[in-house]
Amino acid sequence: MSTSALTQTEALTPARALAVVPELDGRRAAPVIEIAHLRKAYGTIVAVEDVSFTVRAGEIFGILGRNGAGKTTTVECISGLRAADGGTISVLGRDPRRDRSELHERVGVQLQHSALPDRMKVGEAVDLYASFYERPADGRELISSLGLEAARDQYYGKLSGGQKQRLSIVLALIGRPDIAILDELTTGLDPEARRDTWRLIEGVRDRGVTIVLVTHLTEEAERLCDRVALIDHGRVTALDAPDALGRQAATGKRVRLRSAGAHGDEVLRTLPAVSAIEHHGEDVVVTGSGDLVAEVVLALDRAGLRAHDVRTETASLQDAFLALTDESDHTTTTREGER
Amino acid sequence: MSALTIGTNPRARHAFGRLVVSEARIARRRPTGVAVALGVPLVLLVIFGCIPATTRPEAALGGISFFNLYVPSLLLFGLIAVGLAVLPQQLAGYRQQGVLRRMSTTPAPPSWLLAAQMTVNMALAAAGIVLLLGLGAGVFGLALPHTAGEWLIALLTLVLTAGATLGLGLCVAAVAGTPQVANALTIVLFYPMAFFSGLYVPIQEIHSTVISDLAKVLPTGAGFTALHAAFSGQSPGLRPLLVLAAWAIGASVAAVRLFRWE
Repeated sequence: MSTSALTQTEALTPARALAVVPELDGRRAAPVIEIAHLRKAYGTIVAVEDVSFTVRAGEIFGILGRNGAGKTTTVECISGLRAADGGTISVLGRDPRRDRSELHERVGVQLQHSALPDRMKVGEAVDLYASFYERPADGRELISSLGLEAARDQYYGKLSGGQKQRLSIVLALIGRPDIAILDELTTGLDPEARRDTWRLIEGVRDRGVTIVLVTHLTEEAERLCDRVALIDHGRVTALDAPDALGRQAATGKRVRLRSAGAHGDEVLRTLPAVSAIEHHGEDVVVTGSGDLVAEVVLALDRAGLRAHDVRTETASLQDAFLALTDESDHTTTTREGER
Repeated sequence: MSALTIGTNPRARHAFGRLVVSEARIARRRPTGVAVALGVPLVLLVIFGCIPATTRPEAALGGISFFNLYVPSLLLFGLIAVGLAVLPQQLAGYRQQGVLRRMSTTPAPPSWLLAAQMTVNMALAAAGIVLLLGLGAGVFGLALPHTAGEWLIALLTLVLTAGATLGLGLCVAAVAGTPQVANALTIVLFYPMAFFSGLYVPIQEIHSTVISDLAKVLPTGAGFTALHAAFSGQSPGLRPLLVLAAWAIGASVAAVRLFRWE
């Protein structure tokens, strides 16, 4: 039984992946989720103001935004858990509210703040959830492919954060979904567990599953997503491939070097090419235009100072994120996406 | 709505069966609820059964023993404990942890989890009642109902009381966002309910019209009256059964109206 399930999944992989991933065949794959002007308010608080986007079959689509930007409400509406106040949502050609039970068979959802009973074992949870679906995947195979074999007989309450997330991926995939919605999957994981989880998600896409990934980490979106919708204050502020978003935001060049002290800062500030100076630990980041590296190094040299560890930084999704979301609360943003 | 489809769809029936087994397993692994619902009345039964004075017929109690008067209260206790303490506690916990939320994105609606919990808890309470009756009659000389009619009244009373306590427990679970709130509400309901079931003192021994009037309209008071009658060969009349039915229906309807899955 396990071999047949395995071959079935593998048989799907290359053909479907080639046919559906937009970059691989140059054509546009069919849309599986279409949202137009979604709006949702809780009382007087507007969680989602106006969100529109289309997810195509086979892609990893990112929904990126700060906490409270309206990401989770958006996916709750896609999952049929909440009724939208306005706009239209179509998932696999169906209405998430009206065709809720049908879509629950075909869309695997892992939501934030969801859990299993503490005294339920991993293997039991997988068997139980498999029984909910019409044509479940092989739970044993999923457990081992997500590296949970050793934890099969452990209580859910005793699992580590990483193991819980793996189990939630297993449960999101146990019904052989066409779409998997994964909400803040790596929040609270250490960097190593996070990278493992990323590899797993890429593995899931290779099975032919379309993935909607909700995250507030730019690094995660940059690494995994084919396209990203930036959501801020309930609106989509940008939607493109991560590197394209980075280029859009690249309004200026940046040079990073070891700080040459207060005198160095003064020298750099007087340069016409320099527009801003920021300190990050021992480093100073200089933003400006023109031939910035040469200008900076030469100016310091003229002042009798040496420029150490000079690096130029390319614009990343992080820059787009900061540029395109509300800047009023910058202090709360950790620069996790920085390399 | 979804609960109704369990009976007709074989896959849904299978899934529901798995849920019941799973909930039973979890109950076994965290046996506090089991201990309270089964253990407490059993211990009380043994204690009172071992005191010679309580098992002698008393003229003041209408010719029955204190033990015989007390057993109906113990039978009700299991139902009160399960319905008003164990069930709301578990459900509020499931809601707070996100267990209901996790299920709400699967084809199995979280209402099934509720139904599975009720099934397991009721099975527990029923087992407790059988155990109490068996031990009481077999070891301590408890006088059981004699006629089929008396058994029927006893059974009907227990079923209706179960309906009332479960309904009230679900109302608690419906309005309590956290296990802490559920706990507080449970205490407010639990002690009066236990009191009117005669667990602390026989209600007819209190000689207060306020108390006896309240006992007539509260579910455990009515439950005790009907059970006591069935166990001592009298007719309880229709009134306590109607009171119980009203509570069972009213509380269940209120619970369904109040319940939120998140």
